[in-house]
Amino acid sequence: MMTDTRRGRLAPVVVLTGMLISCAQTGDTAGDEIALFTKNQTNPYFQSIRLGAADAARQLDASLVHYVPTRPDSIPDQMSQIEDAIIKRPDAVVFIPVDFQAMVPGVEKMNAAGIPVVNLTDRSAGGQFVSFVGCDDHRLGLDSGLYLLERMGGRGNVIILEGVGGSSNSKARVAGFMEAIARFPDVTLLASQPGNFQRLQALQVTENLLQAYPQIDGVMAANDSMAAGAIEALDAANRQALVTSINGTKEAVDAIKAGKLLASTDCNGFVQGCIGTMVAIRHLRGLPVPAEFQFPQPVVDNTNYGDLDRPDEERSCPSWEGLTEGLLTPDD
Amino acid sequence: MKTGLAYRLLGVLLLCAALTLATDAFLTVSNLLNVLRQASLVFLLASGVTLVVLTAGLDLSIGANVGLSACVAAAAIKAGAVELGVAAALACGLTIGLLNGLMVTRLHVPPFIATYGMLWVVHGITYWYMAGQTVYDFPEGFRALGSGYLLGLPVPVYLMGACLALGGVFTRHTTYGHEIYAIGANAEAARLSGIPVRARLNLVYGLSGAMAGLASIVYLARLNSAEADIGEPLMLPAIAAILVGGTSLFGGIGSLSGTLVGAILLTLVLNGMNLLAIGANWQPLVTGVIVVLAVWIDVATRRAPAAAGSPVRAE
Amino acid sequence: MPSTGRLTRARALPGVAYLLVVLLVVFSIFGGGFASVPNLLNIGVQSSVLLLLALPMTLIIMSEGLDLSMGALLGLAGVVLAMQLAAGLPLPLALAAALGVGAAFGLANGVLVVALGIPPFVATLGTLGVAQGAALVATGGQSVVGIGGALPALYASAWLGVPFSILVAGLVYLTFHVILYHTRFGTYVFAIGGNREALVLAGVHANLYHVGIYGLGGVMAGVAALLLTGRMNSGHPTAALGMEFDAIAAVIVGGTSFERGNGWLPGTLLGVLAVGVLRNGLNVMAVSSSLQVASIGLLVIVALLIDSARDKTRDKTRDKR
Repeated sequence: MMTDTRRGRLAPVVVLTGMLISCAQTGDTAGDEIALFTKNQTNPYFQSIRLGAADAARQLDASLVHYVPTRPDSIPDQMSQIEDAIIKRPDAVVFIPVDFQAMVPGVEKMNAAGIPVVNLTDRSAGGQFVSFVGCDDHRLGLDSGLYLLERMGGRGNVIILEGVGGSSNSKARVAGFMEAIARFPDVTLLASQPGNFQRLQALQVTENLLQAYPQIDGVMAANDSMAAGAIEALDAANRQALVTSINGTKEAVDAIKAGKLLASTDCNGFVQGCIGTMVAIRHLRGLPVPAEFQFPQPVVDNTNYGDLDRPDEERSCPSWEGLTEGLLTPDD
Repeated sequence: MKTGLAYRLLGVLLLCAALTLATDAFLTVSNLLNVLRQASLVFLLASGVTLVVLTAGLDLSIGANVGLSACVAAAAIKAGAVELGVAAALACGLTIGLLNGLMVTRLHVPPFIATYGMLWVVHGITYWYMAGQTVYDFPEGFRALGSGYLLGLPVPVYLMGACLALGGVFTRHTTYGHEIYAIGANAEAARLSGIPVRARLNLVYGLSGAMAGLASIVYLARLNSAEADIGEPLMLPAIAAILVGGTSLFGGIGSLSGTLVGAILLTLVLNGMNLLAIGANWQPLVTGVIVVLAVWIDVATRRAPAAAGSPVRAE
Repeated sequence: MPSTGRLTRARALPGVAYLLVVLLVVFSIFGGGFASVPNLLNIGVQSSVLLLLALPMTLIIMSEGLDLSMGALLGLAGVVLAMQLAAGLPLPLALAAALGVGAAFGLANGVLVVALGIPPFVATLGTLGVAQGAALVATGGQSVVGIGGALPALYASAWLGVPFSILVAGLVYLTFHVILYHTRFGTYVFAIGGNREALVLAGVHANLYHVGIYGLGGVMAGVAALLLTGRMNSGHPTAALGMEFDAIAAVIVGGTSFERGNGWLPGTLLGVLAVGVLRNGLNVMAVSSSLQVASIGLLVIVALLIDSARDKTRDKTRDKR
């Protein structure tokens, strides 16, 4: 077996490991090390969160390590990453569960290891957390729905584009939509279909619904990506409808400016990433943090998008004092 | 072979009849054009892979290919012109295809593993390249490629027609085509009779990649945006269309027109389910049953001999 | 008894074995904490579900088939298990239900492939759809929670410091080893892939055993569901989608091929461990996620490149004689 093909065999292996070593980011900077768990690499919403977190870490002199499943939204992947992260012993963890129920054992593992955890965006069904930082999804859906229905004059046909089946955000937002619809007896809900928070799926679903129903006046989308897909479908079919969505991304702002999107309720990823990281770092430094963190969630339309009309790379985290001043806390 | 196609067309007609009875919304011009558009997109992607399957191979990397090609094209269009974007997508798709071919022919990696590994590598490159961003908002003229109409028909339908015509000529009436079928039927015999097997395999994998590049342009135009996960849900429907269309995984049997009919059939099913408001959760079940049924009809009527090859074999 | 393709211990190690060693060395040096006992145990736990799928997959691939439905089946069995536990059934009965569902789908796969002659890719693609659909419809896409304390306690238990998952995986591996190399069934598995006609001529009901191979795959999906449901403390319909591809890759990288009943169980173990070590090591070294994704693909390709380079030189030296 000791022939000169051994060199040939090992060459690709050496190259591979060389690449791995050179690209490793072993966080060895002094200061607090925060581990951020997001759901996937592809949804721009989580990139906003990562950028916000990175900015907060930079401002507060902490280091940030990212854990993202290699298969998008994969439960086993995230579970393994939690175990691997515990070996590294980060000082604190900012955690978005890919599934708010199935990841509970993972949170309990971190609790058992004595690592403080901040729960971000998706409210976990169990485990101990320093704080919950996230939007009130039911309110997001309700405000978004009410805005749309009022603009429709309180009458007409609407469709709902839901998110992912097992997502707590999606369920809560849709429940908010339904409550809004219930307040307007002259409004008919034609259909409520899942778009998986994805553009192409929402496009195809909307396309098919446009066939099934000759009169659609409003579309309630549970996130901006799906709204974009619905808008493409409407454009292609030469149909008009008012569309509202949730998230407040730059793309949504551009669509609002162009008159394609009516409004997007702000549940901004960048700011959530900022705050989640700030909460973790402040907790490590013994500073007070609220247990529940809520955001002002304005409905952003063409009158008030100013702040959000910038790509995330150009934004920077608001100051903590500024944030806690305007925010609703349970004490209010 | 002809009878297989006939059965399938019959199936399409029966399905259309059933849907017409079930809902008013089905038999309208706009709905049928939508179905054609959606099926054309699946067909464009599946056409190249059909050639690969004809040689008893497999290409699992097409979804990831569409993703990277679309993202590269998007950046190119934003940086320069639409033509640059189209060229970039085709080049990207072709490169991935040729790398697959290289692994299969020169490095003797079984197609299943080669293209599966390529899937992960391409995904990794796409994720890194896009860094979680979306590139959106493209010129009107470009968007027409995906969502526009020409003389009343959706533009993708013309692309589908061109692909079907050219592909049909290629597979049925050129030596290349005959050789591809021969390789699928019995690679060893083909080699012995002087067919340049390696070159033909490189050709089909390259074409599979190039068609993924082409399909990525149309998807990009239709969606008017590029994200890293554009291609992820596209692989299984494309392969299902090929299987339902009667192309055999053992190689040597099948056709592009079969793939088209398969694509139309599956798109009709999804369209029907949407129009009838049957929950999305039922879709995998219905698709799975149809795939098995379609192939079973083939097998039962054909009484195919034992496997001559297998998609996981190395060449 | 036909012994075509049965391998002895003089078999050459597949390329993945060398990769595994290199990975272990590199990660031990550069990954702080990698070489610790807790982390190595983690790798074992993280790899156990995949191993439970890859072992029956080895047999299926040896019989010139493959099973794409395993991930979906794992999800469905997990959902069944969780629902029964949530309804108050004791663990052994709930597990029996999950195993039953797995066996049913596995046998369905076998019947489709063997009796109806449908290519395994197609048949199992079909059962994938049915299993996934059933799981989604039954749960609405949500996790099934409230499964009580028995399973979590069992999952968290350890004997002599070895976690439950690793014990189960180890036991199953030994069982498969005995089945494949020391029973008549195992010999038939080799034969079905290698020289089916001879088997039939010898008067053996090859079809029955062939169906049994797929049935075994279904049952193992049920056993894997025990581990995965314990790990998530819930049943989830789509948690394991795609795992069958990982299992197939691990099997082929481990040296089993579709040709002539050529199978090697230890190779499958090596393949599964290589993937587990790579994933874990990359996390411990905090490598960026996109590079992790690409590395997984590279591992598979490089392992086979090593094998093919070695085969080429062996053929060359053989020709020279």
